[in-house]
Amino acid sequence: MIGYTLTPDQYTQVQGQYYTEYQFFNCVLSIDNVWFLFLSDEDKTEVATTEYAWVLDLPEAEYIPPPPPPFPPVE
Amino acid sequence: MFGVGVGVRVGGRTIVSSGGGFDPDAQAFFDRVTTAGGTLTTTEKNATNQLVLDMKSAGIWSSMKAVYPMVGASAAACAQNLKSSSFTGTFTSGWTFASTGVTPNGTSAYFNTNVKNNTNLTDRASHWSAYFRTLGNDGFNGYYSAAAGAVFGVQPKDNTNKIAVGLNNLAASGVTSAAGFLIGSVNSSTNAKLYLNNSLVLTNSTTQSLAGYSLDFYLGALNSTGTPIIYGTQQSVFLSLGDNLTDTQASNFYTAVQAFQTTLSRQV
Repeated sequence: MIGYTLTPDQYTQVQGQYYTEYQFFNCVLSIDNVWFLFLSDEDKTEVATTEYAWVLDLPEAEYIPPPPPPFPPVE
Repeated sequence: MFGVGVGVRVGGRTIVSSGGGFDPDAQAFFDRVTTAGGTLTTTEKNATNQLVLDMKSAGIWSSMKAVYPMVGASAAACAQNLKSSSFTGTFTSGWTFASTGVTPNGTSAYFNTNVKNNTNLTDRASHWSAYFRTLGNDGFNGYYSAAAGAVFGVQPKDNTNKIAVGLNNLAASGVTSAAGFLIGSVNSSTNAKLYLNNSLVLTNSTTQSLAGYSLDFYLGALNSTGTPIIYGTQQSVFLSLGDNLTDTQASNFYTAVQAFQTTLSRQV
């Protein structure tokens, strides 16, 4: 899956910030500790008109997720 | 101001003409959608109005705390709670919105209902319901307390193609996954039930208290004590939270929601 890559500073600027009244950015860490942001086509249209339009110019890369978090086996 | 509609009883359901006479609660929802910047088609309005009437007729409207009919093909519309102006949801980035439902990306997207288990739901006397048009990956929905070792929510398809369910516990249901309408009702400390497409498919005799934890119910991921985990890709067309339901109420709920989805041509 391809997503935008963010520096720690860029992550701090967008994480949890609202780009519409009902939508906010949620970034995730990759297996090699790089922050990724994934936007749907609808998201991109909305974001393009906001102060966060700069995220659309961030470099993109293939996302490899980290190992799944601890969760008890369902038995 | 509300217009006058013509109601006719047909097969136990009150069918209201589309002459502009919407149920006041339905009309209030439409107004919230409009204020939020969303739009609904006439078909979506009529279907939603009928859903409200059917739920009231079946005596289950009062059991609801939050109902998200996922109509309007936008975040603004789908975030609105049909039951009241409380619990307006919020979407993260990574969702797609269509008349056929809302779909998370399975990597970073979730919907926060802002319904908290310890203040908005009654411990071990509550239900969740979700209508999934597609099974997607093995994403989980709901909330999880590691300290309590219990989940309130559902994984429609685990890695063995079974439903994993949390009814204030965490158990493999043994039930083969299927798209459609799932209802989980936690009825007491010793009784909880899972319904799939109008069939009772599981009864649990052990549930845990989650009263000591503050957890928002998520769709598209599992809220693990504040951290979203196990992101999903299931396309959803309905979500509700509220009081626990009897077998009869669960059946009537299915009938109402299935009719709603059928009117919108997105039923399973």
